[in-house]
Amino acid sequence: MSKAENVKTVTLTIDGKEVTTRWGNTILQAAREAGIYIPTMCYLSKVEPIASCRMCVVEVEGVDGMILSCQEKAVDGAVVRTGSEALFRERQKIMELYDVNHPLECGVCDKSGECDLQNKTLEFAVDTQEFTARDQCRPVQNWGFISYDPALCIMCERCVRVCTEIVGDESLQISPGGYKSTIVNVKPDEPCAECGECMAVCPVGALVSTDFKYSSNAWELEKIPGACAHCSAGCELRYEVKHASIDDPEPKIYRVTNDFEFASLCGAGRFGYDFENRGARKDPEAFARAVEALRKAETIRFSSVISNEEALLLARIARHTGARLVCDDARGYQKFLRAYREASGKSLYGGNLGKLQRSDMIVVFATRLYDDAPMVKYAIATASKRQKAQVVYCHPMEDPRIQNLVTRLIRYEAGAEEGVAALLADLLVDRRRAPEELRRFLEDLDIGYLSAESNVSEEEIEAVRRVMWKRKRFTLVVGADVYNHPRVENIARILAAIERYSDFDLIAIPPASNSLGVSLICDLADEAQGYTVGYNAPGDFVLSALGDGDLDMPAMNQQEGTLTTIAKRVVPTYPALPYGGYELADLARALGIGIEHVIDLTPELPAEEGFSPVAFDDLPLGYDNLGTELRGYLLENAPREGEALPEEPAEIDSYDGTVVYRCDPGNLFGPFTARTHQLAAEAKLVGSAQFAAAAKIADGERVRFEVDGIAFERVFTIDTSMKGTIAINPVFDTGLRSFAISSYRFSPARIHHAGDADE
Amino acid sequence: MSLEQFKNRNVGTQNYVMLDLGKEPANNWEKFKQVVRRSVKLELFTGLKVTFREMIKALFMGEMHTVKYPFEKLPIAPRYRAIHEMKRLLESGHYRCIGCGLCEKICIANCIRMDTRYDENQRKEVSEYTINFGRCIFCGYCAEVCPELAIVHGGRYEVSSEQRASFALFEDMLTPIDKLTEQKEYPGFGAVSPDADKKIKKTPLAY
Repeated sequence: MSKAENVKTVTLTIDGKEVTTRWGNTILQAAREAGIYIPTMCYLSKVEPIASCRMCVVEVEGVDGMILSCQEKAVDGAVVRTGSEALFRERQKIMELYDVNHPLECGVCDKSGECDLQNKTLEFAVDTQEFTARDQCRPVQNWGFISYDPALCIMCERCVRVCTEIVGDESLQISPGGYKSTIVNVKPDEPCAECGECMAVCPVGALVSTDFKYSSNAWELEKIPGACAHCSAGCELRYEVKHASIDDPEPKIYRVTNDFEFASLCGAGRFGYDFENRGARKDPEAFARAVEALRKAETIRFSSVISNEEALLLARIARHTGARLVCDDARGYQKFLRAYREASGKSLYGGNLGKLQRSDMIVVFATRLYDDAPMVKYAIATASKRQKAQVVYCHPMEDPRIQNLVTRLIRYEAGAEEGVAALLADLLVDRRRAPEELRRFLEDLDIGYLSAESNVSEEEIEAVRRVMWKRKRFTLVVGADVYNHPRVENIARILAAIERYSDFDLIAIPPASNSLGVSLICDLADEAQGYTVGYNAPGDFVLSALGDGDLDMPAMNQQEGTLTTIAKRVVPTYPALPYGGYELADLARALGIGIEHVIDLTPELPAEEGFSPVAFDDLPLGYDNLGTELRGYLLENAPREGEALPEEPAEIDSYDGTVVYRCDPGNLFGPFTARTHQLAAEAKLVGSAQFAAAAKIADGERVRFEVDGIAFERVFTIDTSMKGTIAINPVFDTGLRSFAISSYRFSPARIHHAGDADE
Repeated sequence: MSLEQFKNRNVGTQNYVMLDLGKEPANNWEKFKQVVRRSVKLELFTGLKVTFREMIKALFMGEMHTVKYPFEKLPIAPRYRAIHEMKRLLESGHYRCIGCGLCEKICIANCIRMDTRYDENQRKEVSEYTINFGRCIFCGYCAEVCPELAIVHGGRYEVSSEQRASFALFEDMLTPIDKLTEQKEYPGFGAVSPDADKKIKKTPLAY
């Protein structure tokens, strides 16, 4: 919040302490801000107050009875008491009721030691049971990743709230019935988002991880803070580590937890944690070969699953040896970002997830949101539930999984992104603010041609214009489909124009973990050339954290470093597991670049790109009491010169016949997630019945096709919720090759039966 | 009681009481007279009477006072803390340990480790359990903290063996299933007190 904004504040007295807080905050928020403790059971900072527990009652002078501090807004001059004999008794009675028939199985319960019910029962000295209710038979239910034990459930409703308000999945509901109430999974047959958010926020042991269940006590696990390295959200998480077993003293990650009060995780972060490079040993011969390979390499090819420091170190190695840098998954994004800078007048996009959560008009463009960026989807879900935000989803494929969030679907033809961007510009740019040239550009657009070729009718555009009426906060989200589009630069300029001359904030979702950091730190070349050393990418000599290369490298949970996230934040991650092999710093030293540890480079990250000269060990972690993120630091979004205008859109190529779309489904983000034991899955080509008919294949049949130079042989399955002739082709099972794909995500493909010979 | 008198190590000034032992013989002649007097009065046999009585009891009346260790062993006090025992439930024969991990947590020598897992019957199963007896100081905290009276101290005090591991596994400590009927409750720390029944407060039930 900027200082210029006129922030109204209120001042009230809580327990004799004068507290000033933002107008609109509740008494509970004001108290927490001031560090005053009010006990709660159901309250969860990241969702709207649930008010099911009534533990947060306080007394306000001049008001009869007790006030729910989680709901009541703080008002000027109020005198609040958070603790008294009567309040203690009230809370004690609530706890007594919670404890009725609660199974006395703390000894085996996973939650024991970090259980809110346990803590509050002790805090309010409940040692006898005065109430009674007839116990019921409530068997444990298995929901896949998550197990639900209704007998332990205290019906605080936190899980239902996060599933609806944060995840936007609406899988959980309450089946009301007084003492018989339970949480029900309304999607027992089809998998829900499988994010585990419900399990994270559960204050008791009712919702627990099926995989972790009974494998360790909470207090035995050492918590190591980290940043999730699977996608660009870089979510805060903690790896929980303990020795593997009595016979094996090597540490093992048992589970992942997070600061669920303020932050969220998707299933990849929560369940895909054991992607470490196990058993790597120092092999001096391979090391010598690697040094030799780096010396003679003409190209260093790497993936964006890499820390900022490693990216910088690779850039230094490349400068030292004269090699060129190729990063296929960040190259398109870098092009986008550079073109965007020239057109937008600032170095980075203006939107962020916090703003997106508060937006009431959201346009999502060129991303399969559910699979590409779960955190962006979460933010949109929150906006949709809290402000009933209008969500316009523009993509060639309908996604029934986010049907409940999307208010308007604009389905365009694959390949028509530039045309759609131009149509959006025509719709969204405020002509009064736009300079003369941009107005002329918009007037010169051949709307008829664009809408015909992209298959977006003018009525659809008009409908969006209508729903924008009276909306106040706007966000435009753009995703990975455009970065590898041949016309990415022009699309970037069009979107920059929209952001600059309208109320929209842009979020450009980085396509892979640290694509943003790599784009800012490295100068990337388009094509690999000559002898290539691959770092987590294919090449003539391969350094691999998957353990299948010529020299082992540490995976992201075995090394320290920083990541640059979609929130434009540089966040630290720490090694959760030991690593026995060589690191990039060792190679750099052998090449004559004097560096002890990779993190020595943290303060040297390029300041002109917005990085701050902060040492790694000085980077903060965590959140403050109100949920403001303190982790790492934000990149400086400096103003830039330049006002490049978009050029006329090129002709739109249409894709005929069968098209496959490169997309890793659900919780999978490439080969690192695919090797974790909970997420490992078979990659299948998934398409509609129409696709099957067009490709003349049947459900369950093995098919063969070639995309991006990779020959795939996969089982084809029909998904009845899909339409059209675009099938989804995951690449998470192709190992390091998946990091070397830089083509446009939609590709026409000829599908053959697996048995047939090539034509 | 204060510790002052123990802290005072200046022995000479302390309050000793001298015993009245009669007059000490002053010269060799007096010493000779004392020896002759004692021999003639047969005081020696008054003392030996007890010895002879016990000898007769031991040899002919079966009241032997020594044991032939290691073939015979004296019973150890029930609260003695020696090698641990794992108890079973008398009803089912299943081991009592629920895998709560409290012994692992409280152990000040950090010598207890357990592996647990989710078993087929949806219960927490202790898949492996060890005590490192090289570290164990036999403090008895594990037995005290155990909510199920599953781990207790036994009377097995001979702890020399070729391998410490011979004591350390769950199966070695567990009551053999065929000796279940001989299983004794442990009366030491953590055990149910004799008046436990009186202390129980009943929870109201709806049925």
